[in-house]
Amino acid sequence: MLAAVAGLGDEAARVALDLPLRANLTARDNIALIPLYQRHFDAAEAARQAQAVLDALGHGDIAPLRDPDMTPAQRFVTQLARALMLRRPRLVIDRPGAMLYDVPYPAFIQQLAARSDMSGTWEIYDFDWNQALYPQ
Amino acid sequence: MNFLAASIESLGARFVGWFAVGYGLFAFAGRAALLMLDRSTWNRATYDVVIKQVYFTAVQILPVFLGYALVISWLLITIILSTAREFGLTEFATEMTIRVLVLELLPFLTALFIALRSGSAINTEVALMRVNNELDALAHCKVPPMQFEFLPRLIGGVVSVVLLALLAGLLALLLAYLSIYGLSMAGFDAFTRTVAKIFDLRIMAGLAVKCALFGLAVTLIPVVSGLETPKKLFMVPVSVLRGMMRVFFAIVAIEVLSLALKYI
Repeated sequence: MLAAVAGLGDEAARVALDLPLRANLTARDNIALIPLYQRHFDAAEAARQAQAVLDALGHGDIAPLRDPDMTPAQRFVTQLARALMLRRPRLVIDRPGAMLYDVPYPAFIQQLAARSDMSGTWEIYDFDWNQALYPQ
Repeated sequence: MNFLAASIESLGARFVGWFAVGYGLFAFAGRAALLMLDRSTWNRATYDVVIKQVYFTAVQILPVFLGYALVISWLLITIILSTAREFGLTEFATEMTIRVLVLELLPFLTALFIALRSGSAINTEVALMRVNNELDALAHCKVPPMQFEFLPRLIGGVVSVVLLALLAGLLALLLAYLSIYGLSMAGFDAFTRTVAKIFDLRIMAGLAVKCALFGLAVTLIPVVSGLETPKKLFMVPVSVLRGMMRVFFAIVAIEVLSLALKYI
């Protein structure tokens, strides 16, 4: 499973423990890097887009926090917002239990997915023994 | 016989290691130079990061640096002047002060200052970025680390060392004048004539190239050393230690080469 997820390449945006945030940037700046460098928006517009994604997920207040000051759930939301900003057709969440150990995570992810306007697919890769956590 | 073979083997391994380090440095510098020549690199985002780097490396430390340059310059000028007076060589004091302080010592100390303050921080940060997979995360997001993280640091280092050495040099010239002639304008002609005689085009170009090489050494070596760090947290201090040793040797090598080219 691990190799399969890691080898997904560029068609999927991944949220994973091994793809951390840039530690010395705020949540907003981490997300804003994508419009800034990929779509060549100016800094103000990139920051506005990043804030909009966080607001849409219901966590606009975490925008000024840096990685070490975030709770695991806030860190996950920022990584998820960054993945959504990539606008790839697939979004893969790799072993969420490793990142979301402070909230009941299937419900938390479901709430976030309901708020997101992403048109592609969301996939969660988790260990077999966590299957009972997900509604069948 | 075994001892001899082991010694040759160890020497060979060391030589290959040095070659690999040198190759890595030049290859990285080449990639950075190519990226710098690419028009698409120079977007608003890159300019912003470069300006931030110059601010962190040069502007933020300005009061401390100028204080340090002032004390060192004043001490050395006083020593040179009192020695020159003792031996009846007062007419050479200005030239000696400029040659020792402005051309050699202040650029060297500026490079050391930036290496200790920013070079070590850059080495640690890049090593931690590598160990924590932050570079992989940037690559996954298609944010080019060379453009976002490394190139601005190299440019910031070069610009900072050149500007700080220039400022320290100007401060030393002012101090030298005040120490020799006091507040009187009587010596202005003689002083400016000596300055003009020393600072011909060749010397100025050499000084600029030396400062730029110092700036490159104190940023390029820490970046490359950080990138070489194995993905183990306990290797970060080792990486910084190696990087800073290389920076020290590079600074000394640049200074020795510049002295040799000038005086031999």
